[in-house]
Order: sequence, then structure tokens, then C-alpha cells
Amino acid sequence: MSAVASKTRWLNPLLAALLVAGAQTAALGYMIEGRASILRNGRDVLLKTVPVDPRDLLRGDYVILSYDISRIAPELFKGDVPAEAEEAQLYVRLEKQLDGFWTATEASFQPLPAAGDSVVLRSLPFSYYPSSPPTSVNVAYGIERFYVPEGEGRTLEEARNAQALSVNIRVDGSGKAQIREIAVNGSPVYEEPLY
Amino acid sequence: MYRARLERDFKSWIDKGLLQENTARAMLAEYDGRESTFRAGRVLLILAALLLSASILLLVAANWDALPRLARVAGIVALIWGFHFAAAWLVRNGRAAFAAAALVLGAAAFGGGIALVGQMYHLSGDAADAALLWFAGACVSALGFRSAAMATVAGGLAWFYFGTVLTEDGFSMVSDWRSWSVPALAVIVVLLVRFTEAGRTRHLAYLLFLSWLAWLYIDSPSLAFAGGLAAFGLVGFLAVTLPGSPLRPLALDAGSAPAFYSFSLALLGFTALQYEAVGLTTEVVTGACTLLVALLGIGLAGAQNGAVRYLGYVAFAGELLYLAFETLGSMLGTSGFFLISGLVVACIAWLVIRIEGHMARTRQTGASQ
Repeated sequence: MSAVASKTRWLNPLLAALLVAGAQTAALGYMIEGRASILRNGRDVLLKTVPVDPRDLLRGDYVILSYDISRIAPELFKGDVPAEAEEAQLYVRLEKQLDGFWTATEASFQPLPAAGDSVVLRSLPFSYYPSSPPTSVNVAYGIERFYVPEGEGRTLEEARNAQALSVNIRVDGSGKAQIREIAVNGSPVYEEPLY
Repeated sequence: MYRARLERDFKSWIDKGLLQENTARAMLAEYDGRESTFRAGRVLLILAALLLSASILLLVAANWDALPRLARVAGIVALIWGFHFAAAWLVRNGRAAFAAAALVLGAAAFGGGIALVGQMYHLSGDAADAALLWFAGACVSALGFRSAAMATVAGGLAWFYFGTVLTEDGFSMVSDWRSWSVPALAVIVVLLVRFTEAGRTRHLAYLLFLSWLAWLYIDSPSLAFAGGLAAFGLVGFLAVTLPGSPLRPLALDAGSAPAFYSFSLALLGFTALQYEAVGLTTEVVTGACTLLVALLGIGLAGAQNGAVRYLGYVAFAGELLYLAFETLGSMLGTSGFFLISGLVVACIAWLVIRIEGHMARTRQTGASQ
């Protein structure tokens, strides 16, 4: 009679449930393993952070982290720089300094080869607008947020504003970064487990 | 709404002796028996599912550290499996409404899972990708269970994705593939709607497409683009409403959507053209064209199509106000403009009344023969 009643099932509902739940679980598992593998196998890098309580509707409270290496000075650029405005990714070479922190020594819009003890970090895609003379470029690496239990963001923010916060990340071979540990005045506050 | 009006009309027809009482009762019973008819219980059930979904999502967002992370992941995966198998069991037992609610909850659990992984690994700058994955999960569920409720959820998530793209990447920093992914999602939602027979959900997709066009224009305004929108909309509207057009019967068969959305597109285009217009003369000419289009819409499709009629009224009134503000430099000029428009509209009204009267008379003579 009605349109809906004539609608036929094309899959056994149990099979559909298996398919849907399986696919969704696989997607979550893929996401988790993609991140855990960086923590497990990545290279260690220690970064210094530079100086509200923001809240993500779905992921909860977080602290915004900004790094020395979030701002790349034009002197660091090697190789070709895009001549026109385009979506670009920046590869940034990090090298360890005497104080234990890592800093950017070279940046390029083309993949950088591995060299010595350095680590190459890849930025998230961003819109690049050329200018002359070249100016500093602000980039994000996907490690700019640290989610904390509700209401615990304040202490970390105070430490961050006092420049006492350091972030230990791990970087995998493709340049993807993952936060591993947050320390205040050198002592770890949050150490991230693999899973 | 429609049910109450139907009952009222039936009552007046019965009183006038035009309709037998038992026929009217049988017609109402048939209407009430339709699957898509509003049922309070079913609506409340879906509302309950949405509230429970919000509680799952907020529980994840609270990042409650009394529960170890791995336990939270296991819990959310268990919820995904539990809700989907509960839905399968309910479908097999013929309890479609409960199954739909379980599927909505399953989709919420999947969204909670995505948020949880992002929280666990402190991901940033990936909110649009996360929304896209959530949409994909909802699509798989809508396909697998052939569920109209899940097609609606997918339509809502397509909107959520569009909103996330605009807020995350910045309004004008959206990359090309991301921008094109929005109409692609609208197409997917339309296909899902056809497959699951979700009916009204298709409006979510159509409106998403229109909003995307509006955003494209605001992002990179150009005269050609504005003119293109107006021309496409107008041609489409004329094709589906002009008497004698071969497309008209098809469009009428599809309901009020073709006329309404082509009319919306035309008005969107004319709004953009109004924005492009520089100088008083061009502004007034564009404004007059917009007013004409609004009247054209009311005249061609307003009688059968309430949505077009109201949109036409709103566009007409809005455009008049805009022109009044723009030409406010000289009150005399504004007054003259309103004088002329008033006279023109009065003439049109007179014409429309004559035509409507003529049509009513021919219908009457046709019916009495």
C-alpha cells in the first residue's frame, strides 16, 4: 500500500549489523593503531612551548600549545617556494640543541632527505600566499591541542604561560608527529600510554 | 497540520452533502494507516535516541579519568556492536521504529569513538576529516540496514561536515577538494534517500547544495558566477513551471521541490547580482529585475506551491526594503519608486485576479458538464 511497506530488505539484518559494526570498529582500530605506531616506533623530539579554557564540543577541554617551530622564519627556506597562492605542506628539519630542546634548522616545500641525527617534521596542509620579501610562515603539525579531563586545563595553561611547559613528541618516518609527554619544569605531568 | 485540515474540509463537505460520512471516515483511516504519517510515539522514540546519543558524546568529551582509556575504547566499541545487533534483532522482529532508534544510537557511539581517539592522541586540525569519517560510518549503516532514519542522520552529518570545514579551515581557506566534497556529500545523501525511501530528508541535501553555492559565491564573488546562478535558476524554474514545457508534468509529479529549489537558486543568483551592482541606476535596475522574478515565481507556481509563494513574498518584501534603504539618499526618489512599484503591483494584482477568476469559471463549467 504505502511506499515504505514495499521497501524490501536487501541484506539480512544480522549481516548488516556485522558489516556496519565491523567497518566502524575497523575504522576506529585503524585510527588508534596509526597513532600508537608513531608512539611505539617514532623518533623522540623535545620541544619548547611559547606563551580561557577552550572546549571542543566532541572531544572536551583542551590546552592550546604553540611551539617555537610553529613559526618558520624565511631564512630557513631551502629549495623552491611556490610562486602562486596554493595549498602547501612544509617539511621542517629539526635538530637537537645543547639544552636538549630541538629547533628548526631548515624548511622546504619539497620533502627533505634524512640527514645525520635530524628529524623531519611535516606540517598540516595550509594555504600559502607568496610575498616579497618572504615573510615568516605559521604552520600547524597536528600537535597543537592537549585534551585534559574536564576542569584540569588551568594548571597546564599557567605553566604554559610561564614558559615552564615542555612537550615531548614522537615523529614517524613520514613526518607525522604525536604528543608523548608533557612536562612542567622538566618533570613529566602527563605521560601518554600507547593505547 | 495536513491531517487537521483534511478533517476540517471533510466535515464541511459532509455538511454540504458533497461527501458521504463513511467515505470520509475510510479516507481518513487510509491516511492514518500510511507509514510516513506523524506518530507521536515514533517521534518521541527518535528524540529519546538523540538525547541518549548526546549523553554518549558528552561522556566522551568529559574525558573522565576515573575510567582507564582502554576501558573507554572497549566500552564504545561494545556500544557500537550492541546497538547494531540490537537493531538487527529488532528488524527481524518487525519493530522498525525501535530498530531505527538503535541505529541512531549506534551512529552516535561511532561518533563518540572517533572523538575518543582524537582525544586520546591529542589530534588537532583534523576535525573535518573526523566529521567525514563519521558521515561515512552513517552511510554504511544506512546502506546496510536500508534505514530511512540513518539516511536522515547522514544528511545531518553532511551539514555537520560543511560547518566543520568552514569553521576549521577558515571561511576562505578551504582547499579545492574539500570544497568539492560538499556537493559530493549532497549527491550521496540524495542517493541514500532514494535507496532508503527517506522522502523528506532529500531537502537536507538540496539545501546543503544551495548553501554550498552561496558560500562559493561569497568566497569568490564575480559577476559571471552571479549571472550564471541567476540564469540557471531562472531557466530551471521556467522549465518546470511554464505551461507547455515538456518538463512540467514530470516536475509536478515530483512534488513542490523542483519549482521551489530552482526558484531559490534564481533568487540566490539575483541576490548575488544585486551585490555586484554598482551605481544607483544598475542597483535599481537589478532590484526591479529581482522584484519581477519574485512576482514571476508567485504568478507561475504560487497557486499550487505554497513554498514558492512564501519565498516569493519574502524575496519581494526584502528586495523592496533593500531598495528603499539604498535609494534613501533622496526621499523623493524613494517615494517615486514606491509609487511606481505600487501602481505596477496593483496592475498585476488586477490582472492576476481576472485570470484566476477566468480559470475558476472554466473549471466550474468543466465540472458541471
